[in-house]
Amino acid sequence: MSVDTLSAGRARRGFRDLPVPLVVIALAAIIYVAAAVITGQTNQISLPGLSGLLQRTVALGLVGLGQTFAILVGSIDLSVAALISSVAVLASYLMQGDPGMIVPAILACLALALVIGAVNGGLVAYWGINPLIATLSTGLILQGVLAAGYTYWSGRVAPEFQALAYQSLFGVPLPVLLLAVLALLAWFVLAKTRFGAHLYAVGGNPDGAKLAGLRVERFVLAAHVIASLGACVAGLYLAARLQSGTPWIGRDGIYDLESIAIVVIGGTVLSGGKGGVLGTLAGVLLFASLDASFNMFGVDAFLKQVLRGAIVIAAVAVYAVRNKGHVA
Amino acid sequence: MTAVLEMRGIGKAFGAVKALDAVDFDCRAGEIHVICGENGAGKSTLMKVLGGSYRPDTGEVLLEGAPVRFHHPREARAAGISIVHQELSLLPFRTVAENIFTGMEPTRWGLLDRQRMDERARALLRRLGSAIPTRALVADLSIAEQQLVEIAKAMLVDAKVLVMDEPTAALDDRDARSLLDLVVRMKAEGVAVIYISHRMPEVMAIADRITVLKDGRQIWTRDRVDVTVNAIVTAMVGRELQDFYPARAATGPGSPVLEIRGGRNALLRDIDFVARAGEIVGIAGLEDSRKSALAQALFGDTPFSAGEVRIAGRPASIRSPREAAAAGIGYLPGDRKREGIAPRQSVRDNVLLTLQAMAPAFASPNGGARSRPKVDQSLRDMDVRAGDFGQEIATLSGGNQQKAIIARWLMQNPRVFVFVEPTRGIDVAAKAAIYQTMRALADAGRAIVMVSSDLPEIIGVSDRIVVMHQGRIAGELPAGAEEGAVMRLALGVADAPSVREMAS
Amino acid sequence: MTAIPDTARPARRIPLRGLNFAIAIFVVLYAGIAVLQPNYLEAALFMNFLRRAAPLAILACGQLYVILSGGFDLSMGAVVTLVVLAASMLIGGDPEMSWPVIGALYAMGLAVGLANGAIVAFLKVPSIIATLGTMLLVNGLALAWSGGAPRGDLPDNFRNLGRLVLRDVPLVGTLPVAVIILAVATLLMGWGLHRTAYGRRLLAVGDNPRAAELAGVPVKPTRISAFVVSALAAVTAGILIGGFSGVSVNAGRGLELQAIAACVIGGAQLLGGRGSVVGALFGALSLFALFTLLNLLGLPQALRDSLQGVILIAAVGASVLRHRRST
Repeated sequence: MSVDTLSAGRARRGFRDLPVPLVVIALAAIIYVAAAVITGQTNQISLPGLSGLLQRTVALGLVGLGQTFAILVGSIDLSVAALISSVAVLASYLMQGDPGMIVPAILACLALALVIGAVNGGLVAYWGINPLIATLSTGLILQGVLAAGYTYWSGRVAPEFQALAYQSLFGVPLPVLLLAVLALLAWFVLAKTRFGAHLYAVGGNPDGAKLAGLRVERFVLAAHVIASLGACVAGLYLAARLQSGTPWIGRDGIYDLESIAIVVIGGTVLSGGKGGVLGTLAGVLLFASLDASFNMFGVDAFLKQVLRGAIVIAAVAVYAVRNKGHVA
Repeated sequence: MTAVLEMRGIGKAFGAVKALDAVDFDCRAGEIHVICGENGAGKSTLMKVLGGSYRPDTGEVLLEGAPVRFHHPREARAAGISIVHQELSLLPFRTVAENIFTGMEPTRWGLLDRQRMDERARALLRRLGSAIPTRALVADLSIAEQQLVEIAKAMLVDAKVLVMDEPTAALDDRDARSLLDLVVRMKAEGVAVIYISHRMPEVMAIADRITVLKDGRQIWTRDRVDVTVNAIVTAMVGRELQDFYPARAATGPGSPVLEIRGGRNALLRDIDFVARAGEIVGIAGLEDSRKSALAQALFGDTPFSAGEVRIAGRPASIRSPREAAAAGIGYLPGDRKREGIAPRQSVRDNVLLTLQAMAPAFASPNGGARSRPKVDQSLRDMDVRAGDFGQEIATLSGGNQQKAIIARWLMQNPRVFVFVEPTRGIDVAAKAAIYQTMRALADAGRAIVMVSSDLPEIIGVSDRIVVMHQGRIAGELPAGAEEGAVMRLALGVADAPSVREMAS
Repeated sequence: MTAIPDTARPARRIPLRGLNFAIAIFVVLYAGIAVLQPNYLEAALFMNFLRRAAPLAILACGQLYVILSGGFDLSMGAVVTLVVLAASMLIGGDPEMSWPVIGALYAMGLAVGLANGAIVAFLKVPSIIATLGTMLLVNGLALAWSGGAPRGDLPDNFRNLGRLVLRDVPLVGTLPVAVIILAVATLLMGWGLHRTAYGRRLLAVGDNPRAAELAGVPVKPTRISAFVVSALAAVTAGILIGGFSGVSVNAGRGLELQAIAACVIGGAQLLGGRGSVVGALFGALSLFALFTLLNLLGLPQALRDSLQGVILIAAVGASVLRHRRST
């Protein structure tokens, strides 16, 4: 259709207007391939190698999907790391190796995530507490309770549950499939439903959304619940992979900060209203390629942390530096 | 022909301020009814009542003869009242179609029906005479195109009444003309159009009837064929000057203190401007005249990108408020709450802020000129009334806060003082005190620049009036100029003679 | 919009409210400790309590500078870890090296503070993300440098800063060096905040940066300096912690949040504009007393985090409600 080609022609004028996700994916591919070639580990560019790369994206990718919703409505969720740990511990405690407890344990974890998401959303949307403080605090509360009670809550997941982390379906690792399905679902909700369109409206222009008759607070609340659900699934996956949860897996994975970073790298703006899950997937792929490349070059774990800190700051700065006015 | 819309005896007060006082208004199908009025006359408040954002204190709204009460913008929209808002409510990163349908997206089996959105959006835009692609991002559109999208959004529901609140304010002449064509077409389709504007040429070109509001009251409603531009302007400004303006200086102005030659930046063009010792220069203009951008440029907040600045005859570089303060320019911001006060600090600390900013970092906060007796003296000189100067400044009235910020700059002893909307939102007594202060400062040899949207204030206080129009200086008028003359310059309907020509 | 009547509301004195509150909390909590362990009332044990609370109190005062400027500094704990690890490796047990190394530690702190400030002021990255990033970076650097395990040893003259107790001091009996350092640090930071033009600028920047800018305040340098003070305070605290706890890779973990909580208890307004060094000091002492009390009651240490979360929500939530009522 002529109108569509015309619109495509208008939206793309030069490099600056290339879709961010594509640029990021290209960057990830270049880094990964270059690292493999330079270090002579060309076997990394094989199917098993790539499959390994994709598996690195799963945990952070799942958190990132949820975080995308929170950031799209102009909020943020710093409690995801603590929630991941809580879910992993809760799942392994409830299962105690018993396959019959898999479903109840998953339901209990989802319920916990719903509650935490609702509390976060309530504090932010209805009480008006700064989302950074509100979610930092709920994260602290969770983390403290978890660390205090952990000695009583040890356990391990059912062996059958570990299939979630280690089985393959049609040659595709199950966790990668899980991420793909949930990403598709998230994309579908954002791109194809009214609810998704309203989330963009609320994040992009809250006053305009109000004038258009939307109840802004409800959408912020819903986005926080979705962010918590993303963290919940990530926690379940990690529990399956590690056999049992510990109160530190979320914090040690720096999932709070890194999920924000991949969302922002993927082109979702921190003030809300623009972006989507494709960008988040691109962001997590970039992080995974960097991670894999560090490994190929034999960068030690601590130096990796240094580089990650620098990358997070640089990534946010690329978008933030154009802001007018004061930031504190 | 009966009226589609009737508003009877609408009254609305905010605190003690009556924004609307028993206003009667009606609009018929296939008619363009223009509302004129100065800033703050009540135009926007009336339309917010109509649109369901405000509930009136008194009076009633009738739609096609039946009384209606709206509690939420959504209800007014559903009833067939569409408003094109003055401030765009669009989502820049979403497509044209998505914007038009915000909050009313059509669905099919629970999914967004993008095809229908595109088709209906395209049809709407075609009706507006535009071929904007429906999948283009709003951020990629020109301001005029965005305005069209906003109008299409308003027309999504079959509008019986279409309200346009200064739709041409952001448009250049060509785009404004095509928008006016559109408004005329809407009228031909039988829509009742309410059009708010103070651009006289377009008002005279499209109006069927005209209503003038002033201070929340309806001055008159007349057929366009019965009125002249002069009659409208007179009605808009027709309030007697009050006698609280101070007497002007007996002597003429002194030497130039602040001079700008060829100043320009993104918002301003060809600024030649002089402020002399001992005079108050008033800067007038409508909301889209960018008169506050001129104030910001003078103070280095949004500096000139080209041109020459001289202070007391010497070239100066004013690239930031700090440089301006160091060069002897003072500044009273227009938005007291957002730009003036540090709300949780004490009155004294607010008054001392500029001195603290200029003092060595590790100097005592109460040393020398910053000593408590001196602060308290300057607060008393400005007649700032507070139970205790140690209390938070946010607890003071607006007028007293304003006086405290003036005191802040007086302690710095500036040579030039830029006042932006110095009396906005403060009571009459405090206004008079601030006028007296400005005059006293001028008499003491300072140059005063006053940017104001309040025309009587401009005329009552200024020794010279500079009128802005769309980022340029449209002309200059001497003290005591007629309001009509200022308004004509501001509206761009008259080539006013400059002061120099009048003198010769 | 309502017109505010010309008559002033009852005067509100600025620093006193938060200050009295924190002192009162501290007295109550310390009384609780004394009930459980009466010997805490002896001068020597009180001095010992102060000695152990000194690092947190110094951190809180440094954090206060950043909070008053409208931001957060989450990198403080990482700086403490860096200081402890760097000191042990650079000194390598040689007492002669202690003083030059302390100089080097302060130089590192200065660098971190400048980096934090520049990232926030120039790159406009919100401080909570910027300092989380530098936290990762500094922590990673410290661990990479030390190889992930404590190495080297701290000589006595370095450790004495944290653990030496002077005896037979007139009036107080015993006097730990750390308490002297605490006194000097808080006096210095109190002077900077409450007795200089700079302090007034800082408060104005945090309260309303736009108004401060239009009043001529150099907003960016002021903001950066707050992060520098915070980082230097973290170095000081790190030196004390290295002194009495020895070398550990977890030396600074979680201290940044404790410092923020201490400021909040001490009446500091998050996101800027109000707070005092005395408040932060007693906020830190209260928090430390609370931890001690939890210990004495046999409650798990880990609940500290939860307690801090509740305190943050309660403090910020209360100020939101107060603000809502006043507008």
